[in-house]
Amino acid sequence: MNICMLTWEYPPRIVGGIARHCFGLTRALAKRGHSVHVVTLDFPGAPLYEESDGVKIYRVPIELGHPDFIIWVLIFNHFLEKKIAMLSRSVRFDIIHAHDWLVAPAGIASKHYLNAPLVSTIHSIEAGRARGIHSPNSRIIDGVEWWLTYESKRIIAVSNSAKREIEEHFHLPSGKVDVIPNAIDASKYNISVDRESVKRRFGIAPYERIVLFIGRLAPQKGVEYLIKATPQIVRVNPDARIVIVGDGWLKDHLWSLAVQTGCQHKITFLGFLPDNDLVELTVSSDVLVVPSVYEPFGIVALEGMAAGVPVVASNTGGLSEIIEHDRTGFLAYAENPDSIAWGVNRILSDPGYASWLTQNAKRKIYEMYSWDAVAERTIEVYRRALEG
Amino acid sequence: MSGGEHVSVPEEIYFLCMLHNIGATSSERALTFEEIVRWTMLEPSKVEQNLKILMDGNYVAMSVDSGTKKYFITIDGIRKVLSMYS
Repeated sequence: MNICMLTWEYPPRIVGGIARHCFGLTRALAKRGHSVHVVTLDFPGAPLYEESDGVKIYRVPIELGHPDFIIWVLIFNHFLEKKIAMLSRSVRFDIIHAHDWLVAPAGIASKHYLNAPLVSTIHSIEAGRARGIHSPNSRIIDGVEWWLTYESKRIIAVSNSAKREIEEHFHLPSGKVDVIPNAIDASKYNISVDRESVKRRFGIAPYERIVLFIGRLAPQKGVEYLIKATPQIVRVNPDARIVIVGDGWLKDHLWSLAVQTGCQHKITFLGFLPDNDLVELTVSSDVLVVPSVYEPFGIVALEGMAAGVPVVASNTGGLSEIIEHDRTGFLAYAENPDSIAWGVNRILSDPGYASWLTQNAKRKIYEMYSWDAVAERTIEVYRRALEG
Repeated sequence: MSGGEHVSVPEEIYFLCMLHNIGATSSERALTFEEIVRWTMLEPSKVEQNLKILMDGNYVAMSVDSGTKKYFITIDGIRKVLSMYS
């Protein structure tokens, strides 16, 4: 099959889960012999064209800008669409696969002029990310998301809860949405690291135990609840250090919050880290906390599970499907620092419990969340789109 | 803010987004102070203030082209912007 994969982020342009998802999926599809063409935005230092592990990647420069976000999105979609049109002179695309509303206009236009079915993966929706539709921009985004679901032959949701949310919010006919979870390359966590040396590299004392957060510093990720839980964590486990990896517009506010707790000396903000550092730090951690308020999937929880790190996650969205409470991780009440502190303290205080969780979690990862399995299921969705 | 107090996006972050959306995303695409004022339609003093905050945070960098100062977003700055939307 000739597949045109449309995404606004693809490594090294990595922000959230979409880049990692597209990277894993496209490689697995190419490994199966499909011809995969990724059309995405450019990024400083990355080539405009490259072929990597059989995947053809086209990074499109945006030749015109506008300060307004929505107008900018519409402009870059024009350039994506132009690139697809140029590619279509030499490639007959069987499927257009779009990821989220940001590439919806290009995906929908391409579907019509190439006469190829459009499949969309909806990673999250505006009503969930913004906790409702409260601004003109949110209203437009919500409308574009509906438009994308309407124009798509098949829709892929990343969890059962995301499927329900999409079907209910956009009033979709039953049977149009398939669930295919995210996956990870678990093998990259099979490394041995010198934990003390990794800790030193990040300014963490060798005796300290790492309570790790990885993600965007945005309200939906719920980092504030982990920070608010810190006094209770360090009271019980004085050797705990909260390590926050990631960047975002909320960073200054979160730092102020850390100061307000009086525990800022126990909290380290590391900013964005490259993948190698991230893997080593994860493997060296004692607990991974995923305190999200809204999380259709939660790929970072899988990464912790694969790394053999016990996970404390909010009992919300896809996280409650990935983690089985008290078996493969600890599910805390969402938006509840007491509950997060309880879970973290239990894990740090009971090595037997921590080990039980990580053993079960690792087994589950290898059984259920491989890119090979995701690619197989995605191909099945493409076949259904081509049949109908 | 979800479930807690409301926190507004800081002004300099909106400004950073504007710089990103108008394309000042590499040294080759850097813009002069005057060009930034024209694009964003902000008071020059506001532009100056925002640029200073963002340069202090390493989200914006300055280059000098034929004696003219130009400004562009760093990779960390791009990631900061994308974190708003992803």
